[in-house]
Amino acid sequence: MNKHINLLLLAAENLLRHRTKTIVVCLCVIAILSPFITAISISEGIREQSLASVEEGGDLYLTFDEFGRNTSVPLKYLEEIRTIFGVKKAVPRIIGRAYFQNKLVVIVGINKEDIPDSVSCISGRMFENPNEVIIGNELARHFHLRIGDQFSMRGQQRKVFTAAGVFTPDSGIWGASLLFMSFKDAGELFGKPEVATDIQIYSIPGHNSEIATDLYSILMNEPYRLQDKQIIELFVKKGFLLKEGIFTALYVVAFALGIPAILVASGFGLSDRRKEIGIMKATGWNTLEVLELITFEQLLISLLGATIAILLSIFWIRVFNGIFIGQFFIAEITLLPKFTVPSKFLPLPFLLSFFFALLLTMVGSIYSSWRASSVSPVVAMK
Amino acid sequence: MIKAEKLCKLYGAHTKHKVQAVEEVNFTIPKNSFIILKGPSGSGKTTLLNIIGTLDRPTTGKVFIDGEEITTFSDIALSSLRRQKIGFIFQDFNLIPRLPSWENVTYPLIPMGIPVKERFTKARSLLEIMGLEDRITHAPEELSGGQQQRVAIARALVNNPEIIIADEPTSNIDEETSAKLLNILSDLKHKGTTIVVATHDSRFNEIADETFTMKKGRFQ
Repeated sequence: MNKHINLLLLAAENLLRHRTKTIVVCLCVIAILSPFITAISISEGIREQSLASVEEGGDLYLTFDEFGRNTSVPLKYLEEIRTIFGVKKAVPRIIGRAYFQNKLVVIVGINKEDIPDSVSCISGRMFENPNEVIIGNELARHFHLRIGDQFSMRGQQRKVFTAAGVFTPDSGIWGASLLFMSFKDAGELFGKPEVATDIQIYSIPGHNSEIATDLYSILMNEPYRLQDKQIIELFVKKGFLLKEGIFTALYVVAFALGIPAILVASGFGLSDRRKEIGIMKATGWNTLEVLELITFEQLLISLLGATIAILLSIFWIRVFNGIFIGQFFIAEITLLPKFTVPSKFLPLPFLLSFFFALLLTMVGSIYSSWRASSVSPVVAMK
Repeated sequence: MIKAEKLCKLYGAHTKHKVQAVEEVNFTIPKNSFIILKGPSGSGKTTLLNIIGTLDRPTTGKVFIDGEEITTFSDIALSSLRRQKIGFIFQDFNLIPRLPSWENVTYPLIPMGIPVKERFTKARSLLEIMGLEDRITHAPEELSGGQQQRVAIARALVNNPEIIIADEPTSNIDEETSAKLLNILSDLKHKGTTIVVATHDSRFNEIADETFTMKKGRFQ
């Protein structure tokens, strides 16, 4: 045991002794790992928020199908759907986009009793009267809107809305450009009072297949589409996997350029090292002991590099709000988003980062060290 | 006892410029003897020392240390032999740069699992003997040639070797340090250490038991 402790201590000392090399390799590791950890953390954060939203939503989603896409569903079926056995609640929604001055905002038309619990007003109150709306806190901040302010949407000046409250949803990214109003007001705003973009069906557990059968008998002659929560979750997860995959693919290209740099860096000063290894061998060290020392050195440098990369990632997200990387995962946001970019730091990416750093530094050093330690000490010392 | 039989070392065997550094050398060095290896530059002294010190392998021939044929030893077995029995003093010191003297001295003890405290105590006592008690924490770059050589000698002695091999140990140091080194080696001989020195320094003749002279890779 003492032998390994001695080697570990010497490895730490060697890192200090070869300070320039240590700094260069560490910087390479940080430059490669930090953006990657940041991206994965942002992606995980958004995925978590998306899944939470899906979890809070209905068990089944009913829309109509036109040209292979979701389209609005007529409200004439709503009452009949509500009478299906196993349906706890059927909630029609209108989700659309409209310009508020020069900014495209998402409008959700839903009756106030059906608004998700995660949406709570931080000032003002929930809309109660016609033409009252509640506004996402980031949107309110952007337009300097206060409670009681009146406004209308671009291209639809006949309808004047009043800001009744400002809300903060659990997910910062949705709150940035979101506006809630009653289902009736949304229908009037978009000029489609008889349809909903979808109907969320909340069901008694285990009744989804019976509900689907009954819906079929109701909508037999209509081109409808029914999706359950699991499918929506799957879409969300797939979407993020795809984005992470694209990011990783792009990153690998950048990596291909970074790897030679790190390999050169970790073999940096190799002639010095070769002579040192020769001296070690001449004074009684064997090849395994030399390699153990080199491994400890790479372990420490990887640990140091990965730790700094992780801290830098946390800093990148917390202080700079995921600048440059957030855009990749959240559509239509600025370089420096005004809302807090969600993130989630999981232990697995940390561990992977550490092992990746170790692998990179080991590849750069272990073979050359093995070569130096397997020749005769006289040759290595030359 | 060190014994060599028909020792040959050929460099560049597969090239145009072959060099026969050692050719058909036979010798026996009894335990507790002081041997001097003499000869002009390029005569094969260093190559021979490297082979008997297990730092290099002969092309052909056999070397025995204490009756064991070391030429067949594996790399790990040779390392173990060096660690237990052999101390090397190099002409150009071969100290680890930027490492304090005491750590250079105890470098061979690190993989033996000897704790830091014990290593430091051992290094201090050896460096005191070498007159370097005030240079314990100095790196080789902060020491003169003579001081570096004394650190290298301390390192060669740290594992209490039965054999000391020194290659031109006085060629890079001043007169005073050379005299000190001579005294140290003389003391070691009296304590039972076998010493083989390649040198041109005639002062070694006074304490040597035998002198081998080499020319063009052969004993004369």
